[in-house]
Amino acid sequence: MHFLKGLVLILLPAAAIAAKRAAVDKFQQFHSKALSSTPLKLDDSIYGQLTSAPRDYSVAVLLTALESRFGCQLCREFQPEWDLLSKSWTKGDKKGESRLIFGTLDFTDGKNTFQSLGLQTAPVLLLFQPTHGPHAVADSAPVRYDFTNGPQSAEQVHSWVARHLHDRPHPEIHRPINWVRVIAFTTTILGTLTFLSVAGPYLLPIIQNRNLWAGVSLIAILLFTSGHMFNHIRKVPYVAGDGRGGVSYFAGGFSNQYGLETQIVAAMYGLLSFATISLALKIPRIADPRTQQLAVIIWGAVIFVMYSFLLSVFRIKNGGYPFWLPPFS
Amino acid sequence: MSDIIEEPFFKGSTGRNTRGVLRLTILCLIAAAAIASRLFSVIRFESIIHEFDPWFNFRATKYLVQHGFYDFWDWFDDRTWHPLGRVTGGTLYPGLMVTSGVIYHALRALTIPVDIRNICVLLAPGFSGLTAYATYLFTNEMTTSPSAGLLAAAFMGIAPGYISRSVAGSYDNEAIAIFLLVFTFFLWIKALKVGSVFWGAWCALFYGYMVSAWGGYVFITNLIPLHVFVLVLMGRFSPRVYVAYCTWFAIGTLASMQIPFVGFLPIRSSEHMSALGIFGLLQLVGFVEFVRAGVPSRQFKTLVTGFVVAVVLIAFAALVLLTVSGVIAPWTGRFYSLWDTGYAKIHIPIIASVSEHQPTAWPAYFFDLNLLIWLFPAGVYLCFLKLNDEQVFIVVYSILASYFSGVMVRLMLTLTPIVCVSAAMALSYLLDTYLTIKSPPEPTDAQILDAANNSSSKKAGKQDGIRSTREPLVGIYTTFSKTTVVSAMTAYLLIFVLHCTWVTSNAYSSPSVVLASRMPDGSQHIIDDYREAYQWLRQNTPEDAKIMSWWDYGYQIGGMADRPTLVDNNTWNNTHIATVGKAMSSREEVSYPIMRQHEVDYVLVVFGGLLGYSGDDINKFLWMVRIAEGIWPDEVKERDFFTDRGEYRVDDGATETMKNSLMYKMSYYNYNSLFPAGQAQDRVRGVKLPEVGPTLNTVEEAFTSENWIIRIYKVKDLDNVGRDHASAASFDRGNKKKKTTKKRGPKVLRVE
Repeated sequence: MHFLKGLVLILLPAAAIAAKRAAVDKFQQFHSKALSSTPLKLDDSIYGQLTSAPRDYSVAVLLTALESRFGCQLCREFQPEWDLLSKSWTKGDKKGESRLIFGTLDFTDGKNTFQSLGLQTAPVLLLFQPTHGPHAVADSAPVRYDFTNGPQSAEQVHSWVARHLHDRPHPEIHRPINWVRVIAFTTTILGTLTFLSVAGPYLLPIIQNRNLWAGVSLIAILLFTSGHMFNHIRKVPYVAGDGRGGVSYFAGGFSNQYGLETQIVAAMYGLLSFATISLALKIPRIADPRTQQLAVIIWGAVIFVMYSFLLSVFRIKNGGYPFWLPPFS
Repeated sequence: MSDIIEEPFFKGSTGRNTRGVLRLTILCLIAAAAIASRLFSVIRFESIIHEFDPWFNFRATKYLVQHGFYDFWDWFDDRTWHPLGRVTGGTLYPGLMVTSGVIYHALRALTIPVDIRNICVLLAPGFSGLTAYATYLFTNEMTTSPSAGLLAAAFMGIAPGYISRSVAGSYDNEAIAIFLLVFTFFLWIKALKVGSVFWGAWCALFYGYMVSAWGGYVFITNLIPLHVFVLVLMGRFSPRVYVAYCTWFAIGTLASMQIPFVGFLPIRSSEHMSALGIFGLLQLVGFVEFVRAGVPSRQFKTLVTGFVVAVVLIAFAALVLLTVSGVIAPWTGRFYSLWDTGYAKIHIPIIASVSEHQPTAWPAYFFDLNLLIWLFPAGVYLCFLKLNDEQVFIVVYSILASYFSGVMVRLMLTLTPIVCVSAAMALSYLLDTYLTIKSPPEPTDAQILDAANNSSSKKAGKQDGIRSTREPLVGIYTTFSKTTVVSAMTAYLLIFVLHCTWVTSNAYSSPSVVLASRMPDGSQHIIDDYREAYQWLRQNTPEDAKIMSWWDYGYQIGGMADRPTLVDNNTWNNTHIATVGKAMSSREEVSYPIMRQHEVDYVLVVFGGLLGYSGDDINKFLWMVRIAEGIWPDEVKERDFFTDRGEYRVDDGATETMKNSLMYKMSYYNYNSLFPAGQAQDRVRGVKLPEVGPTLNTVEEAFTSENWIIRIYKVKDLDNVGRDHASAASFDRGNKKKKTTKKRGPKVLRVE
């Protein structure tokens, strides 16, 4: 309510002027502007005119902060989607049957509006419903769209807008074909094919190399078993500070982890597996008894120490875990 | 390495028999250990069915035993999903219930009187013994070392990754499905090695059994074709592959279509398309091989290759066309979310809300597999030494299962068998090398030089094999080396056994229907609120009283309280669940009509605030909101449940929407009265609650369990004199209404 009051105060002078003209004119006037360039670029005064109280049309205004000094990543990511939505809507509705105007108000042009609305964050999408006319709604306060779930696509916003504008046409979104992408894709495919046909005879032995496949398989297995998919899905941070200026390598808690942590774990698993493979395959093939003895001791010690370390790391993750091996307890 | 052992006792035909008896004894002991380690919960608590889904399986099994197979097959259940009902017979995997039913009747026929509940409780441990045996058979197909099979069986018997789903009382599909999975794979390898229709048919039959038991059969449906595809790519196509695969595919598909729930999916859904595609590919490759053998012309071969490529391309295009035009069903949500990991969160919150569908963090792997997790890659590496058809299977299986287990916690179950097998192969190889009395003779210096020269000259010529095995095998010289390695490994294995016992006892043996806590003096205290509440429902409500609760508790209410529910854990109708979510997350005035329309008599909520039980409804509440928002985005908004600063709060700072939601009110109703004024504390969220507790107008408290975990509310009937509930309730509380001077007198029976 507080913010409504502010809004009304700001709009009063503008409304007084606008009320003199016929409201139909106002829509036609903005609509014809929109046909040439949409979304309309607003400033404080146009915003006031556009959203002033007696209106028989709907307005969707995106309040945003595009300049890089504000560092609004979300604003910049959403802007092309917003442009796309307004362009395809206006294009699909040249006669203005849906009675909807799109506008963008940047913070640099509309500081007063931002202040009067009490906005601390951007972007904010407001939808003003008509106050009279066939589609009028009782509540004249604008509806606010949430950007809580990160950047939104034009389709999501489209369905939200369409939900609020009943029994009016909802022009579909037409995404322009991304020619650069198509060309790049075709070139890549053709290039790869050419490369393969030329380099095929040289590549074939590499592809058929069993060591290569063994390596790839093991790396894949180590990646997956050390929780890489969790990082990928949950988008966990790579490392985090421990609050005392240092770096915390291991996240607290059983179902929580950092990117670096999984790499350390994968390295441990890899080393342990490699030591096992060495003990099983390589050492029985060492012909010199002394070298062999030494190798057995070294690899045996590597496994022992590494496993002990692994257990100690696991004890960090799971407080009550009772088992450990000597060096790290 | 039987030939290394010197004693005559182990040689010849006597030796073979002795070894056979030993092996049998060891396997029996392993099975006994596998069963015994799963009995913690029965010994600590009692013979009780666990968790949620098993309660439905138990109820279905009782129905099957009582009414017979045909009634079970046609079972329409009007006591769930009120008022829709559920075609239960056609929408479940009957394998589990039928298995228990058969065991029950077999035991009865042997005149052993046994309660069906005990069969259900002990089915999973019993089958774990069989799984150990199946793992033994499977591993023996993979390697020549006789000890690997026994090791693998032992690992499989006690690995926590499998125990997690097969403790006594965990009467779920997985209980028998993992045995079937391993055994089907064993039969597949057997069929592939021998190239026989006999084994292929057995493989298909067990595949059919698997389909009837668990939705995870899709894993087999895709793994076997993938294996065959990799074999074809490697140029390992042979008549054996052709015979084994075609037999399995033809009979297996027919068998799987006998299950009503699966029906025509095998020829319509994309999940099964790879099997069909590989079947077609094999016909083509087989044809080409046949022609190639007969016509040795170079040009003809090129022509044939072109022909094959063209056919594959056309088939692929047709597949795409059919999918687009909708003849073939698109991927089902659960399966799709395996590939596009962000999909579920956006489109199907109900799948994302289940905790076992979350991705796996690394501690979970170590927790479930311990040292096997680092022996596993070593075992896979060993498979590359002698890369036959069956070793390719291990490699393919390992990579695929590792990926899936990373995406979804519950699929750890499919990873566990192959981890056990690979780890056992690595370990047995190691032990075979080090655990032998015979040492090679000490070489002279000249021999060493000679050997070095030889190997370097060999190295140049031999590029094909794996890098580690280029030198000739010598053996281990000193006893010291042998004892060090063997004793270290024994120590690790002992830790493994201790780890498994500890994990099983601490993490996987809680029935979750009954909670255990420790008293200050160390004795065990049982918290039995769930059963207390369900028993109350059973004894104090009419038999057809409809209970509304969140879907997690649907099966338990059906199984233990035997009352109709609105939604349950078979989440087949998202809209219905969203309706319940909306009723829970809206204001009373909105919820009441919804509850009336669904004839709800009682509402059940789970509240852990008093005890500090974190799995309660307030913690699950956001999922209810999200699922409801998916259907009614205008009426329920997740944003409204967060404060301006984006916090989810239940104390004074909670949003109005939160405080007015039915769920919040029902959870905290009267909670203040337990504490001195202004001291009410929520022990899960760790916050102080508002001084004035919520008021309820449309429902009244009917029952609250001992520790307040379960609270049951009765939905009020319409007011007798036509007031709305808010004013009626305020009248009852004695709030003065304007202009009313009449005092609240004693209630009088209205006589018309």
